[in-house]
Amino acid sequence: MIEATTDELLGYLADVIERAERYGAVVQPPNDAPEVEWRRYGNQLVMELEIRPPANRRTLVEIGLAERWRSIGLDRWELAEYGYELRDFELDDRRAFHQHDVAEFVRRFGVSTHEHCEPVMGHATCRHYAGVPCEGALDGLERLYVLWTARTKPDCSRMRCLDR
Amino acid sequence: MDRVYYTPKEIAELLRISDDAVLDLIRRDEIPALRVSSRIIRIPAAGFDAWREGRGPVRRRVRIAALPGDKPAKIGEGEELPDRALSLRR
Repeated sequence: MIEATTDELLGYLADVIERAERYGAVVQPPNDAPEVEWRRYGNQLVMELEIRPPANRRTLVEIGLAERWRSIGLDRWELAEYGYELRDFELDDRRAFHQHDVAEFVRRFGVSTHEHCEPVMGHATCRHYAGVPCEGALDGLERLYVLWTARTKPDCSRMRCLDR
Repeated sequence: MDRVYYTPKEIAELLRISDDAVLDLIRRDEIPALRVSSRIIRIPAAGFDAWREGRGPVRRRVRIAALPGDKPAKIGEGEELPDRALSLRR
């Protein structure tokens, strides 16, 4: 599990936004403001970022970065869930790296993370693919940005389907 | 669409410096770069253009906003979960 202090998480969110902008992406409201925030719900901290890589004016590409951190003690947090997604409306495909409902995924497949691959958005031949766990939003952002820069549809047939 | 990324070699030509000098700029995190694999690096074109023009991001101030009584959207909302997918096939 990835753990961090509160101060580390404050710097981490600034790092993620800075990295996205250094790639040339546009961070969407409300995180385009000079001050941004983690949203706290009880003992959880939530990040939700929407960024847009440069694309043709008529089309849209979105990268969503969502995380949920859970308190594990005084000034200690662990990354409990994440969802990093590329929705490419230009090529009409979707890729996603997910960690959520961990107990169910471990019980059924023996893995805590999974991926989604839709060569046509909304049409997957497999519900959940095996994947390499992300080491946080910086890693997820870089991996999705690499996929975006390829400007080709993902080859989902090379991935291992967990549902079969 | 315009160029999406440059290779380190193309950056070297644009900046009229050596390939090694480009790799050094990347290593020092001056030029934004994507590591595709251990041997392949891509430089996002928009990020490079901004760097070349001296337009860097402004680092955000970050705070924690407590939101009592509200619940965040669930990650993976609407996704068919493994146990449900299995039971549907029976």
